[in-house]
Amino acid sequence: MRVNPNYTANMVDLLNQSQQDETKALTELSTGRRVNNPSDDPAAEAAMVAENSRSASVDQYTASSDSLTEVLNTADSTLSSVVTLLQRASTLGVEAANSATMNQTDLNSIANELTGIQSQMLSLANTSYAGQYVFGGTVTGIAPYVADPTVAGQVDYVGNDQQNKVQIGTGLSVASNLPGSSIFSQSSGNVFDALQSMITACQSGNNSGITGAVTKLSTASDTVNTARVFYGNTVNELTSNESYLSQEKVNIASYENTLVSCDTATATTAVTQAEYQRNATVAAAAKMNQVSLLDYLK
Amino acid sequence: MSGLTSDLNVSVQSLLTSTESMDVTTTNISNMNTPGYARRRVVLEESTPTGLDGSTTGVDVKAIQSLRDNVLDLSINAATSQQNQSSTIANSLSAAQVLFSDNASSSIGSTLDSFFSSLQQLSTSPSDDSLRSNVLTAASNVAASFQSTESCITESQQQMDQDVVQATGDINSLLQQIATANGVISTANNLGQNSNTAEDQRSALLTQLSAIVGYQTVNSSNGLTLTTDDGTPLVVGTKAYSLTNAISSSGFNEVEAGGVDITNTIQGGNLGGFIQTRDQSLASMKTQLDQLAFQFAQAVNSVQTSGSDEDGNTGVALFNPPDTTAGNATGAASSISVSLTSASQIAAAATGGTSGDNTNLLKMIGLQNQSIIDEATPTAAVANLTFSIGNAISQATSDATATGNILTQLQNQQGSVEGVSLDEESSNLVLYQRSFEAAAKIISTVDTLMGNLLDMGATNPGY
Repeated sequence: MRVNPNYTANMVDLLNQSQQDETKALTELSTGRRVNNPSDDPAAEAAMVAENSRSASVDQYTASSDSLTEVLNTADSTLSSVVTLLQRASTLGVEAANSATMNQTDLNSIANELTGIQSQMLSLANTSYAGQYVFGGTVTGIAPYVADPTVAGQVDYVGNDQQNKVQIGTGLSVASNLPGSSIFSQSSGNVFDALQSMITACQSGNNSGITGAVTKLSTASDTVNTARVFYGNTVNELTSNESYLSQEKVNIASYENTLVSCDTATATTAVTQAEYQRNATVAAAAKMNQVSLLDYLK
Repeated sequence: MSGLTSDLNVSVQSLLTSTESMDVTTTNISNMNTPGYARRRVVLEESTPTGLDGSTTGVDVKAIQSLRDNVLDLSINAATSQQNQSSTIANSLSAAQVLFSDNASSSIGSTLDSFFSSLQQLSTSPSDDSLRSNVLTAASNVAASFQSTESCITESQQQMDQDVVQATGDINSLLQQIATANGVISTANNLGQNSNTAEDQRSALLTQLSAIVGYQTVNSSNGLTLTTDDGTPLVVGTKAYSLTNAISSSGFNEVEAGGVDITNTIQGGNLGGFIQTRDQSLASMKTQLDQLAFQFAQAVNSVQTSGSDEDGNTGVALFNPPDTTAGNATGAASSISVSLTSASQIAAAATGGTSGDNTNLLKMIGLQNQSIIDEATPTAAVANLTFSIGNAISQATSDATATGNILTQLQNQQGSVEGVSLDEESSNLVLYQRSFEAAAKIISTVDTLMGNLLDMGATNPGY
């Protein structure tokens, strides 16, 4: 059979092919990715879109958890101060109840200190974080506790009893706040009422009133401590969830690697192979042209 | 003497034949790199016997044959059309695919992710003004990524459109030249003359045409007839039927033959690739993009309008348009924008809820995992788009490679039949040179013999 005397087209094809292989392998090595465009591996790229979205969600869940932890810790430490104040108030109440040693002047000074505690309590109940009041339910723009101007010592709650939920994982949310109505102003243990009845009892020298107020304070203190459990639990949940999220992030990254990452060994071998093939083709081409029948015809 | 005379005549004929054979060799060597050229061969035959007893037979050139394999040429042209279509598709889509790459920072996928993240962050503190502003910024970025993706696709389409017009012009010029070549060939054939040169030219023109568009050929009595794959005549005999362009309702140039739109019937070649990319691949991506933009905006707006904003007012649409009454998504991706003017208008709260309520926000966040885009989540819809453009390119590329391999194979076959070999021509040259020398030798021998005879007459007049 007659052979094709014009081999240059073939040669150019081969050189193009090896050059293409080499460029592809070099791109993989320099970007560290096997898949640089959707056409390199459409299925992997489509999966990457979903993985990137998952990864962004995990980042966001972590960021949300961080923000929540800050707010919740602020609220919790506020409540810790509240408990300390209530303990001080109880101590003062127990002292005041000891009528043997107390005269009205002492009781008045105790009442004064308690008034101070009461106003500190009001400021604690109106704690805000980044401009948002933390104990107003979902009313965050205005101070949730307001001293009633008409009734001395009366503090009104102007927040609501709603809780926000925040997503911290796929299908997982936590309540991000506890309304003041279930901490300071619960009907069973209203902090401000307890303080006010203690002050009133001290001012009027009402010993049984003082004893009753001590009991009220202790109930209120219990309520606050119960509320602190919510904060402690939620922060714990956030912390353990964050370590789950960071593990999840690692999992996603490693899956993304298997999807699009370049295998350095394979790519390096491909570069070498392509170079070798190119050199061989060029060498062969150079040899082929050397002899023609014309050289021997004189 | 009659024997010697016929020897002389035959030898002269032999000289002429050798010269003509060498002419063919020269032509072959000169045209070894000419596109469309098929090597030629001299076909020799014995001439009518001469001499007293018909013992002397000379040589005649019966024909100069072009070693053209028409079937092979047709296959090559068909493969060229197919390969050019595939590689054109792969090349022309590659500009658009970058937009869908997962590491493109402003891709629709990543701006959607950022939008939902900003909503999540806002849900931790719904009345935080800076977080609210972040949501608006993220929403603008979503709109911007839709717009830039759409405009890049449209630019690609416009580029293709110009290429269609260019290709139509090129086709018309080639059709004209093919018709002219047809005329030359049929005239030569009618006169019984050799038409090899015109056929070589026509073959080169047909190969050029096959790179631009696919076509069918029919050999008829009045020469080669060319039609599109669909049967629309392009060249009949010496008449070329030019194609024209006209702007269609889609705003792009259609290809018309005799005023009839044949755009959708065009297959193969660059033109086939341009048309398929412009009217199918890119057009369908645009439709999907419009659907995505439209349904996403609708879903967000519907949640937004079912809640209360920071000031307690009922929420208003966040994205602008789409036109909810028409239900028509066309143009949504190019026109989507944020319609809220203030971050306080984000309806984070349930209807009548306080500014710190995030109930409605949670609903909006929930859209991320809801099948709001034609039974797919927004992320899945973007992933589908990414897959479809990547897959279109990857398929076109492997088609181009596969047809390229077939083409190389066919071209090798063509070369082995039609290609000029220098070695072969050199050895032919030696052959013709020797036969020329031998014929010349016979003439000089006959000359000597005749001289001898004449000398005999002069020295022996008495015979």
